[in-house]
Amino acid sequence: MRKRLIIAFIVVALLAALASSWFHTLIGAYRLPAWLDDVIFGPGWLRSLVHTDPGQPAPHPVRHTALLFFGVAAGLVLAMITTAAIAASRRVLLPVRRLARAAQRMSGGDLSVRIQPRGRDELAQLVTSFNGMAAALEDKVGELEQMEARARQYAGDVSHELRTPLTAMTAVTDILHEHPGLTGDAAAAARLVRQEVLHLNRLVEDLIEISRFDAGTAQLVTDDTDVATVVGRCLRARSWTDVSADVPAGLTVRLDRRRFDVILANLVGNAMRHGALPVAVTAGLQPDGEGGTRLTVDVRDHGDGLPPAAIPHLFDRFYKADTARARSEGSGLGLAIAWENARLHGGHIDAGNHPGGGAMFTVSLPANGRFPVSGTEPQAEPARL
Amino acid sequence: MATVLLVEDDPAARQGLELALRRLGYGVRAAETGEAALRDFQGAAADVVVLDVMLPGLDGFEVCRRLRRGSDIPVIMLTARGDDLDIVGGLEAGADDYVVKPVEPRVLDARIRAVIRRTARAGAPAETYGELMIDRGSLIVRRAGRDVSLTPTELRLLLVLSGSPRQVFSREQLLDLVWEHDYLGDSRLVDACVQRLRAKIETDTSEPRYIQTVRGFGYRFGPV
Repeated sequence: MRKRLIIAFIVVALLAALASSWFHTLIGAYRLPAWLDDVIFGPGWLRSLVHTDPGQPAPHPVRHTALLFFGVAAGLVLAMITTAAIAASRRVLLPVRRLARAAQRMSGGDLSVRIQPRGRDELAQLVTSFNGMAAALEDKVGELEQMEARARQYAGDVSHELRTPLTAMTAVTDILHEHPGLTGDAAAAARLVRQEVLHLNRLVEDLIEISRFDAGTAQLVTDDTDVATVVGRCLRARSWTDVSADVPAGLTVRLDRRRFDVILANLVGNAMRHGALPVAVTAGLQPDGEGGTRLTVDVRDHGDGLPPAAIPHLFDRFYKADTARARSEGSGLGLAIAWENARLHGGHIDAGNHPGGGAMFTVSLPANGRFPVSGTEPQAEPARL
Repeated sequence: MATVLLVEDDPAARQGLELALRRLGYGVRAAETGEAALRDFQGAAADVVVLDVMLPGLDGFEVCRRLRRGSDIPVIMLTARGDDLDIVGGLEAGADDYVVKPVEPRVLDARIRAVIRRTARAGAPAETYGELMIDRGSLIVRRAGRDVSLTPTELRLLLVLSGSPRQVFSREQLLDLVWEHDYLGDSRLVDACVQRLRAKIETDTSEPRYIQTVRGFGYRFGPV
């Protein structure tokens, strides 16, 4: 900056010198108009400087020297003014540039950015206002983040607290339910209590699971898994004998077995509740277009299909496509949990309608074991276990 | 029938679990705190400890560690959170298995049965592998002539692995054979139990001779 100033100064001075020399040649040979002559040579000090004889017009060469002197002086003044202007504009431009940079960083998400105000002018005021705005914004966002964290923590805490009374209730409802002395209404009441305690258990379990995803504490425990075996066991364990499974034999993918089971069970359960038989599970490997492969699992039913308006919301928590529908046996979190589990694997779930009728959900997971979080393996045991 | 030492601070949960366990045919002694459980344990015998993690005073992990110092009694942790920290902490402290609250009585029953089972094979001859002697008939394991004290789970893991030397078992298979879990069992149970077993029978746990890791597959016994 300083270098540029010096160069500008020299250039202006040179230009001034040239201009004065040109001025000198141009007008030196002629008489100046009387008014200009008066202006320049009017004041006594200049006249006394160039006139050896006051009262007489100055001789020609002396006038030339005076003009040269005047030109150089004017050039110097011009150079000084230019320098001052550049310096002043620098004082204005520099803070503006800093302000622009800070605004850019802020729009990039860095709310902690502040600028050191200098001086007391309008620019300094602007900088102070900018700092105030940034601080207010940072406070607000921090407050919102805290509120959100508190809400999540709260959901988690409430669920944990619910578990202790549920432990007692779960432990004893069987006694009530199986008691031979209960008949008629009492037996029906015991059955209802048992059923709802189990439902409450499932709901609390799912809430805790969701709060783990929210808190970022959900972890993958991956193993090389035979997909056909896991699919078969998932269906058998829930007595879904009329669901067909088409999985190539020997298809082994590294994944978290429990979480994969949760995904599949939720999708098949959803198809059984809201769709219609036959329900079919199809799995296979597909190229992912980036040189890797993906495991895709389709779950298709033959019901009426998904209402198009519902599709974007299917994975929302507690979303119900049919608001008039009575509380289903699920927790309302099943699809949201399935989606989070797929995401944890670095995959996703798509929902849509099959051209041949019925809804189809497609799970897509990376099949080459490149997960965002590494799983455990026998050779990678923690030293302290 | 087996006697359960139940350690749970919440009165309702304690009473509920006690009722359920009695109904399943277990003898139950209940303790409110870790300190009371340790005192009770020294006074009278129990076959299995069902231990809550969140206890006032000594927590479940610490109680488990102290129990392990002088005893090989099976311990099942009762975790209210099911969080990984709780599970890993319990396994590090030496627990054989864990259940997540609220637990259904039939699940707790199955877990208890699995961890207390010591099945002897009558008339089986003692086998020797290097310094290790395994007697399936009397369920005695000796290393260099000295008895090794194992929990039923550790013993069963050793018996299963050494029953087919050199055969590789996946962790899923071991969960099924040793813990009798359904197919979604937590494979960290196997890893933790292998570590404890190695600490008891191997000379150098970083260079295991008997319980060997097969990268990417699981574990095998030997070759010695």
